Amino acid sequence: MSSFLSTRETFVLFPMGKKRFALPATQVSELARSQRSPQEQAQWFPHTTPLITGVVLRRNQIVPVADLAPVLIGPDAPERKFYLVIDRAHGKSRRMAIPVTGECELADSEQLPVTGNLPSYVCGLLSLKEEIVEVLDVERLMSSEVRL
Amino acid sequence: MKISQSQPLRIRRDRIGETVILFFVGTARFAIAAQAVEEIREIDELQEFHFGSPHEKLDKVRQMFMRQGKTYFVVNAAEHFRLAPGNPARLLVLRHAPGSVAVDSIERMQEIHAIHELPDAFCGEERNWYRGLTLIRGQVVPVVRAESFLTKAEGTLLAAALRSSRKNTGLVTA
Repeated sequence: MSSFLSTRETFVLFPMGKKRFALPATQVSELARSQRSPQEQAQWFPHTTPLITGVVLRRNQIVPVADLAPVLIGPDAPERKFYLVIDRAHGKSRRMAIPVTGECELADSEQLPVTGNLPSYVCGLLSLKEEIVEVLDVERLMSSEVRL
Repeated sequence: MKISQSQPLRIRRDRIGETVILFFVGTARFAIAAQAVEEIREIDELQEFHFGSPHEKLDKVRQMFMRQGKTYFVVNAAEHFRLAPGNPARLLVLRHAPGSVAVDSIERMQEIHAIHELPDAFCGEERNWYRGLTLIRGQVVPVVRAESFLTKAEGTLLAAALRSSRKNTGLVTA
């Protein structure tokens, strides 16, 4: 018998290319426009961490920007003018900004267990009308073994 | 230096009053503690240096200079930070380190009051390169860890290679 809990949760759905993905709403702290002021524009400094494209200043915090598009949909990502700011599960400086197009919405749904041959960063599925949406495990997605 | 354990924000900040030197490598701006720098000098009278066998971490050292009987190995900052080749014009001679750093330009000295911890999402070589990040007029500037340019072990390796090279060419070793 599966130990998977099928309780309803709220998820933030965001489009990436032709698909939509989901994050638990409890992880998302805000949806922010990316260029409200020059100081809030993404800034870059040298580093070697894959997927991290820079940092933004949000509420006096330096928040790293992680572009998940190369992993989720490949190189042809559309222009994105918003950030989903999420709180990562571990670590002291945990916030991270994910560029999105802005057409995000909330959905209450049961998180279903992963079936089929999906990437390891998919931690669940949402069945929404005529669409199956993958729930992302950002920690897993950021980990090197997934990217490699 | 005191590190606050009860910050209201999630980013730990080292509250400091510290003078840093701002410098550029290409378009990237960095800060280094002024007290970590013994001297800023022109790039001249440098001697070519070849480590010998290929060594990924030491490819950034291709020049050296002698002063008062002491050898200073020159770290190319662009190679250290994995940047495109720049136009090095200044040398930061490091204090308490076996190396000096070739950078494109020196901007100015600046007092900083806080160093923000590098966010956990950064997990590459930058964790060694930087002490943290500071904000200067809204711009995020990495504060470099001076000892990361050339560790003592790397300095020892380079010095040994230099001694070996001089021995083979019949030159007297300092």
